[in-house]
Amino acid sequence: MRERNRGTGYRALFFLILWAAAASAQTTSDWDLLRQVVLVPGISGQEAKVMDWIEARLPKGVEAKRDAKNNLFFSAGQGRPHLLFVAHADELGMTVESFTPQGTVKLRGRGGFLPQACEARPFVIHTSKGPVEGVMLPRPDYDARAPKPFSLEPYELYVGASSEAEAKALGIEAGDQVIFKKKTADLGPGIMATRAVDDRAGCASLLAAALTVDWSKIKGRTVTCAWSVEEEVGLNGAAELAKTMKPDYVFAIDTFVSTDSPVENKRFGYARLGGGAVLRALDSSNLVPKDELRKVIGLAARRNIPVQVANSRGGNDGSVFVAGGAVDIPLSWPGAHAHSFVEKVDRRDLAALTALIRAVIMEFE
Amino acid sequence: MKSTLGIILAAALTSAAATGPIPGRAKPAARPLTDGLAVLEAIFPVPSMTGNEERLAAKIRQLLPGGSAFDRDNLGSLYLKLGPGEPALTVLAAMDEFGYVVSGITADGYLTVDRPTAPPVPIYDSFLIGHPVLVSSNRGILHGLGVQPAMHVLTKERREQLASNLTLDMIFIDVGARSEAEARAKGVEILDPVTQWPDLVSLANGRMAGPALGQKAACAALAAAASGLVGTESAAGTTFVWMAQTRLSARGERASLGAVRARNKIAPKAVLLLDVVAADRGEKSPVLGGGPVLFQGQEGPSAVREAVESAAKEKGLALQVLTGLSTPALSAFAAAGIDAVVLALPAKFAGTPSEVIEKKDVQAVADIVSAAVASGRVK
Repeated sequence: MRERNRGTGYRALFFLILWAAAASAQTTSDWDLLRQVVLVPGISGQEAKVMDWIEARLPKGVEAKRDAKNNLFFSAGQGRPHLLFVAHADELGMTVESFTPQGTVKLRGRGGFLPQACEARPFVIHTSKGPVEGVMLPRPDYDARAPKPFSLEPYELYVGASSEAEAKALGIEAGDQVIFKKKTADLGPGIMATRAVDDRAGCASLLAAALTVDWSKIKGRTVTCAWSVEEEVGLNGAAELAKTMKPDYVFAIDTFVSTDSPVENKRFGYARLGGGAVLRALDSSNLVPKDELRKVIGLAARRNIPVQVANSRGGNDGSVFVAGGAVDIPLSWPGAHAHSFVEKVDRRDLAALTALIRAVIMEFE
Repeated sequence: MKSTLGIILAAALTSAAATGPIPGRAKPAARPLTDGLAVLEAIFPVPSMTGNEERLAAKIRQLLPGGSAFDRDNLGSLYLKLGPGEPALTVLAAMDEFGYVVSGITADGYLTVDRPTAPPVPIYDSFLIGHPVLVSSNRGILHGLGVQPAMHVLTKERREQLASNLTLDMIFIDVGARSEAEARAKGVEILDPVTQWPDLVSLANGRMAGPALGQKAACAALAAAASGLVGTESAAGTTFVWMAQTRLSARGERASLGAVRARNKIAPKAVLLLDVVAADRGEKSPVLGGGPVLFQGQEGPSAVREAVESAAKEKGLALQVLTGLSTPALSAFAAAGIDAVVLALPAKFAGTPSEVIEKKDVQAVADIVSAAVASGRVK
């Protein structure tokens, strides 16, 4: 009898764990979505896994579409205005270029990193056979008293192989994507840092906002939510979308490059982490008209959503739609240490951004 | 019942979801471990900066058989003498890894750091920028990160400064605090250790990489060997020492402080030091894949060397025998006329956050130590 009771208890616990695991897999929290999607590999041009991950979690009833470049989007409602929200799914990384006779793997860097931050650090090659870990070769004279600076190219990865044949036998092929081996540092409840927060935080926030909307009830406007490719290498995915979409408003959901750290000049780019979402009023690609900016500020105020208005650097996907007639209003969170391996984000800011996206979807005039 | 299950479930899920290292978390099992690699995996995440080796010492004690008679010295070194026999061979390994200490907390909650010992390689400070670190506070291990300027706003001058003229003045550790009071509320104190994030990388051909991996592997090999020898008659009289503070020099000597302290405490007659040496650094350096490296402190006959070579031969394990090498720990014993020999793991990229070693070398060192002790050749 005792054994039977124990068995029943174990079964109950097993099903409870299954239920909890299923519930966890279907989380709708922006923070939890971010913690999951940030780990999915997807350098510029190889975003398929990220797109699959997002598509599998889209709201029920929407019709997901992909275009020729693999941008993912869905639309609801009809007529004008047309509001487009776009977050980019790609991350910085490298690709395999060739092999040396000694078995190291030469990489093609696509820029964006501080070169010496890659030195003697672990990276992962995502092959068709699975992930292969490697270490970025340090500069040749790394142990000298006065070594030469670490050079940008060529990046070379040591995977433990002793010959080209051994390296190839691991399944590594030219063109395979290579990303930094991600580690999530939790700096406190609701503050995390890892690689690719830019722009997986935007992807997660847009998805989380989308999951709160009843899309069948969108009337008198068209709303499109899009997750773009190849933002980091030239806004290429957004340019493809712009060939067929002529929105009235585009809301790029992307990092606000914040100078909230002790090593940066705060003359510009200063949006405080924990201070709320950011209206990226001016960057390297766009200037938001002030009257449009005030509409969003007013909307946020009515909803008690904390927002900051600031200017910084970097481009955004929305800028490619401006020539076609759209107003580009980038919605952001303050991201510290942008394009490092420890991009930092505050949960409160992400929550504010998600709330702001939802408010704009539902109420923007 | 429902809430109890919920708590258990939540705890299990939280644990499973954790992505960061939790080195301070105690594990209840204390079974003897003779598998060097298993010991290495257990101790690798434990921070053990010079002068702060207590967490690693506690972990090693936990892994060794219950009832083992440990002793300590006031530097923090851990001693284990087996059996009541006459003092015989002493086998030692260093516990301490290179790290930084918190030297200050800024008004906006960032930590400044200082180096208490020389870095393993001159460029080591640059490895802090843009990467996660561990801050060992008295309330536990905190995650932190070395602040890196955003690339979008980095000027050419600043970029060149970071590449060529980096100093500790430019390094700040972010622990998620917004003020000094917040940082202190997290448990941060001046002199808390700051060490590299313990990321163990698995490579092809049975190789692995990580920060301070060679030193941790030597510690693990020593623990695995000791674990298998506890209670055996042939090992009676052998002393095992996990040394603290070997990266500091003894006052007035070039030898390492931890080794000098051990020498003075137990006055050994014969010493086998487990260590790590740089591999693949030119014609005269050992190679990764060639087996453990053997060298001795003084020219001439050595019972310890004979015991090690015989043990390796008996086990069918390759050795790379080198001459002309020394280490600060070896100096401590050789200078006192003690028969002292080093058995080292060769490590590629030694002194970087990705030291590469061969897994089989860890067990090879443990097996050679076990066989050398069991042979009774050193009495």
